[in-house]
Amino acid sequence: MAGFCGRAIGVRAAAALLACWLGGCTTPTPEMLAANDPFEPTNRETLKLNSKIDKYFVIPTVAAYFFIVPDGGRRAIHNFLQNVSLPTVFVNDVLQGETERASQTLERFTINTTLGLGGFFDPATKKFHIPGHGEDFGQTLAVWGVGEGPYMVLPLIGPQPPRDAFGQVVDVFIDPTNYIHFKQHLWWEAGRYYFTLLDLRGQTYSTVQGIQRGSVDYYASLRSLYRQLRNNEIRNGRPETKNLPEF
Amino acid sequence: MNLPYRTMTIEMFERKDETMRSSDLTPGILPLARRAILILLVTFASLATVTTPVWASAPAEVYVQNNVQTGLSILNNHSASTDQKREQFEHFILGLTDMKRIANFTLGQYKRTASPQEQEAFAQAFQSYAIAVYQSYFSKYSGQTLKVTGSQERAPGDTIVQTVMLDPNDKSGQPPLEVDFRVLSENGKFVVIDFSVSGIWLALEERDQFSSFLGQNNGSIPLLISHLKELARNYKAEH
Repeated sequence: MAGFCGRAIGVRAAAALLACWLGGCTTPTPEMLAANDPFEPTNRETLKLNSKIDKYFVIPTVAAYFFIVPDGGRRAIHNFLQNVSLPTVFVNDVLQGETERASQTLERFTINTTLGLGGFFDPATKKFHIPGHGEDFGQTLAVWGVGEGPYMVLPLIGPQPPRDAFGQVVDVFIDPTNYIHFKQHLWWEAGRYYFTLLDLRGQTYSTVQGIQRGSVDYYASLRSLYRQLRNNEIRNGRPETKNLPEF
Repeated sequence: MNLPYRTMTIEMFERKDETMRSSDLTPGILPLARRAILILLVTFASLATVTTPVWASAPAEVYVQNNVQTGLSILNNHSASTDQKREQFEHFILGLTDMKRIANFTLGQYKRTASPQEQEAFAQAFQSYAIAVYQSYFSKYSGQTLKVTGSQERAPGDTIVQTVMLDPNDKSGQPPLEVDFRVLSENGKFVVIDFSVSGIWLALEERDQFSSFLGQNNGSIPLLISHLKELARNYKAEH
């Protein structure tokens, strides 16, 4: 009994600490609640941390990647990383009832894995004109009616509300490559992640720089952009007409 | 076409391979949760499928298409000097949009507490900022055009005109970027009040940003004005 009570107290203390970290030990202001961002002070601090890591570690690494690997090589790596993720996209297409998009994903995967020599080339787009798209379980949850929850910025990751963070975890279980075990699996996982990081950050360098340079409030700009882009992805690019404000 | 005052937008236009993604907004990324980033990589928005519930707003479509042509003719006018083009483009933008209304919108809840003098000063600063960013486009423009693809009337006199950006230099095979314009019709006159690129409505993003800034700074509109002026100066200095 004492042990149980001790654990219960420990759990409560941990929960209180977590809440304190998230909330920055402050009471959310009406503005934070209106923006559905009750952890804003902590989120802002996390963004500062992420920006420092980005500046001093990620960007120099990406610069080296661009210096060493020529454009064609980077393109091939990009294609491969996209292709290897398509099974997860396909499952989420199906879970959302998007049969046409599921069919496109399947076709792309088949064509690029074979004619595209393991996915390093993208004949599905270039020759067969089958457009690519992304999906993840966070989007599937949204299609099923789950709200994104309070806005959160996670260390090392960036904007990631609870729904989307949970979706990422589920996607790990959806991805069939995680069920293929071989001796160098850890290296495969590490390499896949590392090159994904380089590829993504290399593509978005000038975009993020532009947002940083042109913002009055960089944090709030990112929050708005994340939500709008995410909702656009959830709508699969269909135009927003209902939830627009009056001018 | 009312508010492309963000370099972000230019960079998005420049992307030849894909459209903007929410995953583009993860600047502090490190290998902690591999999948968190991995899947974000491939979440590029599909712009291929567009539903068409109402297609009955041809006048707004014509209005947008005509003004796109006007804007392009200014950009492509090789006989005019850069300064002349900038001036022409400023007049064009101010005639196309209701800048004061957009400025008031971006103040959000703080418009209620702002004095008329503050509102006026803010509208001026906002307009200068917007124009400075418009003009920063001149050096980036490389032959893109917009083609109207349809429209939806979301309320009487309130229409979303859909366009796609056609880039003659784009060999990626990806679907073109979608750019939507929100056009109001009042007393027989059209005015553009917002536009979106890949689902991002820019005046909406500005409202979120300014409201947050004001919330962090005791609602000080003069401070917001000084920041906007500084940004405008920076844009002008760079271009």
